[in-house]
Amino acid sequence: MSSFDLERLMNKWLNAEEFYVVGKRIERADTLDKALGKAKFIEDYYTNDMLFIKQVTSRYPHARIASIDESEAKKVRGFVANFTARNIPGENQVGYSLPDQPLLAERKVRYVGEPVSLVVARDFEAAIEAANQIKISYEPLPHILDPLEAKSRVDVLIHEEAGSNIAFRTKARKGDVEKGFSESHVVIENVYRTSQQDHVYLETEAAIAIPGLEGKLTILSPSQHPHLTQRIVSRVLGLPASSIRVVVPYLGGGFGGKDDEGPLISAKAALVAYLTGRPAFIEYSREESFAIHPKREATVIRYKSGADTDGRLKAIEVEIVHDTGAYANRGPFILWRATMHASGPYFVPNAKVDGYCIYTNKVYQGSFRGFGNPSVQFAAESQMDLLAEKLGMDPLDIRLKNILTPGSTTITGQVLDTSVGVKEALESVASKAGWRDKWKTYSTYNGRFRKGIGIGVAWHGISTSRGVPDWSAGTVKIEPDGSVSVLVGIVEIGQGSPTSSHRQIVAEVLGAPLDMVHVYFGTTDAPDTGATHASRGTGVGAIGVYVASIELRERLNSFAAKLLNTEPEDVVIHDGIVSSRRDPSKSIGWKEFIKKAYNSGVNTTASGYFFLPKGKFDDEAGQGFAYISYSYMVVISEVEVDTETGIIKVLRVYPAISAGKIINPIQVEGQIEGGFVQGMGLALMEELKFNEKGEIMNRDLTDYVIPTSLDAPEIEKPIFIEDRFKYGPLGAKGVGEMALIPAPASIANAVSHAIGKRVTELALTPEKVLKLLEKG
Amino acid sequence: MYYRLPQFEYLRPNDLHQALETIREGDWKPLAGGTDLLLDMKNGRQSPKKIIDISRLSELRYVRTNDSRVLIGGGSRLQELLENVIVKEKLPLLSSAIYEMASWQIRNIATIAGNLCNASPAADSAPPLLVHGARVKLISSSGSRTVPLSEFFLGPRKTVLSNNELMGEIDVPLLEGYYYRYYKIGRRHAFTLSVVSMAIAVKIENGIFSDVRIAMGSVAPKPVRALNVEKELIGKEAKTVEITKAIDLVSEDISPISDVRASAEYRMKVTKFLLKESLQESLKYFWK
Repeated sequence: MSSFDLERLMNKWLNAEEFYVVGKRIERADTLDKALGKAKFIEDYYTNDMLFIKQVTSRYPHARIASIDESEAKKVRGFVANFTARNIPGENQVGYSLPDQPLLAERKVRYVGEPVSLVVARDFEAAIEAANQIKISYEPLPHILDPLEAKSRVDVLIHEEAGSNIAFRTKARKGDVEKGFSESHVVIENVYRTSQQDHVYLETEAAIAIPGLEGKLTILSPSQHPHLTQRIVSRVLGLPASSIRVVVPYLGGGFGGKDDEGPLISAKAALVAYLTGRPAFIEYSREESFAIHPKREATVIRYKSGADTDGRLKAIEVEIVHDTGAYANRGPFILWRATMHASGPYFVPNAKVDGYCIYTNKVYQGSFRGFGNPSVQFAAESQMDLLAEKLGMDPLDIRLKNILTPGSTTITGQVLDTSVGVKEALESVASKAGWRDKWKTYSTYNGRFRKGIGIGVAWHGISTSRGVPDWSAGTVKIEPDGSVSVLVGIVEIGQGSPTSSHRQIVAEVLGAPLDMVHVYFGTTDAPDTGATHASRGTGVGAIGVYVASIELRERLNSFAAKLLNTEPEDVVIHDGIVSSRRDPSKSIGWKEFIKKAYNSGVNTTASGYFFLPKGKFDDEAGQGFAYISYSYMVVISEVEVDTETGIIKVLRVYPAISAGKIINPIQVEGQIEGGFVQGMGLALMEELKFNEKGEIMNRDLTDYVIPTSLDAPEIEKPIFIEDRFKYGPLGAKGVGEMALIPAPASIANAVSHAIGKRVTELALTPEKVLKLLEKG
Repeated sequence: MYYRLPQFEYLRPNDLHQALETIREGDWKPLAGGTDLLLDMKNGRQSPKKIIDISRLSELRYVRTNDSRVLIGGGSRLQELLENVIVKEKLPLLSSAIYEMASWQIRNIATIAGNLCNASPAADSAPPLLVHGARVKLISSSGSRTVPLSEFFLGPRKTVLSNNELMGEIDVPLLEGYYYRYYKIGRRHAFTLSVVSMAIAVKIENGIFSDVRIAMGSVAPKPVRALNVEKELIGKEAKTVEITKAIDLVSEDISPISDVRASAEYRMKVTKFLLKESLQESLKYFWK
């Protein structure tokens, strides 16, 4: 199919008005197996002939490794081996964005919990016992935990080769901020702080590597991107990628954590399997998971904004500091995203944004639902409320005055296309929430229990940033019995995209009965579909199978036209019935139709591929193309604050989302509810606490608290603004991260409204609430 | 799959008699629900060499009552107590406390004696029992002794229980005509350790505080009664001014610490507020 044909056909489907499965509340394919406990997760594939791996980790935040003594461990019955950096046959380099990170520590350790060696034993008891007997002697080095201190110091370097503790810098520039502030009637400046957050997936990290399975090293991997895992394992082992096969079974949650740790734990299992020639199993305890895997970054954001007397934004000046911990990992990309989204979804004529990604001797930062965006939206949205307050405006009005609309220019100078539904989302959800009345009424409450209402508006660029290549691919086969096999690299991590939206899209486009569509997902045997991250599982991840289905549908239409003696344009295939629009009496059933197709030389397999067109970003100028399109989210939260104990209850939440075509409303509601509650955790209770040695003090679920169902508010049915995106499957954009992003902002704004004091620091524990109340 | 339990000798006696005979000698650690002990063993905080499994001793699972008291078998599961009509009607403070403890799954295996013998400063069943002036019966092969619960705790994880004893029964005297209030302040709304817990029982007769009983958890090395506050109030006129005077004395009763859960300052502040609120409400309750 030529690119012209493809674009024409995608446009035809983009403008489709009638659907028989898309947009419907369809049950996902994995529901029953999961409800019955039949679905298998990685640990379920463990068999006792597998070697067990236990990691030996650093007890120092910063130290040279003097020696590793395994003589005592060797005496443990069942001990097989102790593998260190020296045993790695390929490159001991797994840095995602910068080459700064070893798989196993080499010469030095940079955080408490950093893996130094892998102890291998015949069973897990022996592995634990032997790991306790590994004696590592360290020469401690001075360490730095505070990012602002690390930024200014050069006498202690966490990575000597970097020459400073600044891992990465970003910038965005527009207009002249000095001029903008001089034209401002009000200027507000504040410093905002947010804390590290752990993903707390139900299933901790686990992997199984089996050597020599059909000539390949096969890994059952908890990865969000099978092909990336294959590349990293290939690098570590020094083997061609073609000799490594990655299969991702059902995963018990990832939220970005397994995007970073999935390839690394896979490489650990693969290393042991490769060196011993035997199947190997590794699984992190909850405490190990807390200590080892990357977290959401802690941030310090200095934010200055100015507006004129009408409330129109004139300028913003923002400095974002991300504490990346011991390694850069995806930190530069996270910082980049935070920088480009710093304005919030508003038109700002003059902007100066600088970002710093800073090394410290703490567990490193990484991907987490929202990817740098929740903290900066919290800052931006707090500023909007403060500007409104100073101007005597309703916070809703100042937002509506500045909100992005189709044709608006972002702070990087990018002109937005048509898929910008945020204004409509904000207006409709404000009306549904009864914003204006409640905002006025709650302001008058004065007793022990105060009520507040707060808005959080957020935007989130979909796909990769700038010119970073992003594509989607997938294969669709119609089998002789009429069933449809779909092969895709997207993984099933709880979100349900391969088991719901992909099936619906394929069924809709082919006209096949939904229950005949089966998706085989999460494997390097499928085309590289890219990662299941960045809210792209459906919006980008399904474009490949969408395009493949479109191509197949063209073939089916031509063949059906011959059978029905009509034109291809006249053919209707609807839920397994093939008919002529002009003459509905002529029809044929799906199974019979496919049988005929097989016997008549119709090619029933198609591979779809789509490369997203991108633009250029000029790093020097801080200007250019940032993202191909954006999803938008508005949440309005109502809270009640007990001014005596400081306890906050989030009572009710009103969400609205502009994420293009909604393929499956139930799935989207699930993502919105889960995302909001995870964001509420970040806002109210989740924070890692470090002692002066850089150890996490609350590395278990007794003392790292996440919200329970009894903490969750009433979350109203979301409003969908279907601002279709021209390249998305049937116009879909992304959903997965969206509700989390404005959640902290909306809660912080609601609490500020309730208590009449400005919240600038998360997590907003009862203790912090009381301190705010004491402030004059 | 993650943790290694250290090796230990294990014995499950058939009846209470055999259990007591067994622990007469040697350093046996009783295993009841195991919701504290097994975690401690997995993370190395405790490493007993000998374990006696008393979880199936039916002799220790009962709730009985007469006019003046409720007798609770030490092996009673928390969920059993929560569902027990006697506990619900006669010991509303204990019932409220258990309602907010742990999760349904954990309450179904955790025992009340286990909660007390583990002697965590945050043991939520302790404050209600302290308010009632409960006594615990410690049994051994040579007989039994009864100790006021207030004397049972010595400090964090420390009690007067000897190696050859089990907590057989909790004897809870009933209170008549009291105002009750139970509080649990945690870091979220369910399934969490207390930052401050408080049980309070107040009786006002003829406009005078005739009795005031206050007990608290997580604000001292062990669950404690606020004896200074109580003493200050008893015999005084039931008035706000007396309450205000008395609650400041709580700083002599408790010694909260700062930890990863909350600061000492927050614990003290909240304690004082909860005292103020509950004592004020007791005035309204009796004024009706």
